Amino acid sequence: MKLPFTATSLFQQGPHLEILISATRVEVNEGRAIGLEFPEMSVRALVDTGASLTIINPQIAARCKLKQTGRQKINAVGGEAGEHPEYAASIFFPGSQLPSMDTIRVVACPIIRSPFFSCLIGRDILRNWLLKYDGRSGEVEILI
Amino acid sequence: MPAEEKTFQKELTIFEQHKREWVQSHPGDFVVIADETIAGFYQDYEAAFKAGLSKFGVQGTFLVKQVWAEEPVYLIH
Repeated sequence: MKLPFTATSLFQQGPHLEILISATRVEVNEGRAIGLEFPEMSVRALVDTGASLTIINPQIAARCKLKQTGRQKINAVGGEAGEHPEYAASIFFPGSQLPSMDTIRVVACPIIRSPFFSCLIGRDILRNWLLKYDGRSGEVEILI
Repeated sequence: MPAEEKTFQKELTIFEQHKREWVQSHPGDFVVIADETIAGFYQDYEAAFKAGLSKFGVQGTFLVKQVWAEEPVYLIH
């Protein structure tokens, strides 16, 4: 998957893509059978090699009715470690060949430093990808 | 205490009570706990979550927690 950037836009915004987040497939299918709806959301996600885990804004967890499965200690730059809720989610990459992630844990934590984004794609997802980043040309490619 | 901090309080107490034993018997595995029921150990988060859904249902509440001797603090740079 090639991401369409210029050298300038890549420098200013960082590598990002549109993703779809929802509850897991099992929840969506079983929920539908008993009249529960699990909305999905399209959000802009920053590919963030500095994030150990994938982070979402808390509003996404609430809107998509993600199921909380625990809490995680997160330490952001310049801040103290804090505990934040962890949820199970599905992540899809529309318009690409990248395989979806049916059940992945995400942590809900306000992304204050990057209001342009609602999700940080962390190294838990990146461990499945080969990421090519050419800051000179603006070319970014994700391979599996 | 805020409601968020109460979430999984009972399950986390169970986890702490058994942690020393589980670090020996199931290091790195993911345990599923609902209320006081220990539902099993799984090699990854996905398997643990699906097992939790299967046992407690879509509307059930359960904790999925990896067995560590020291709780990791994840960094966001």
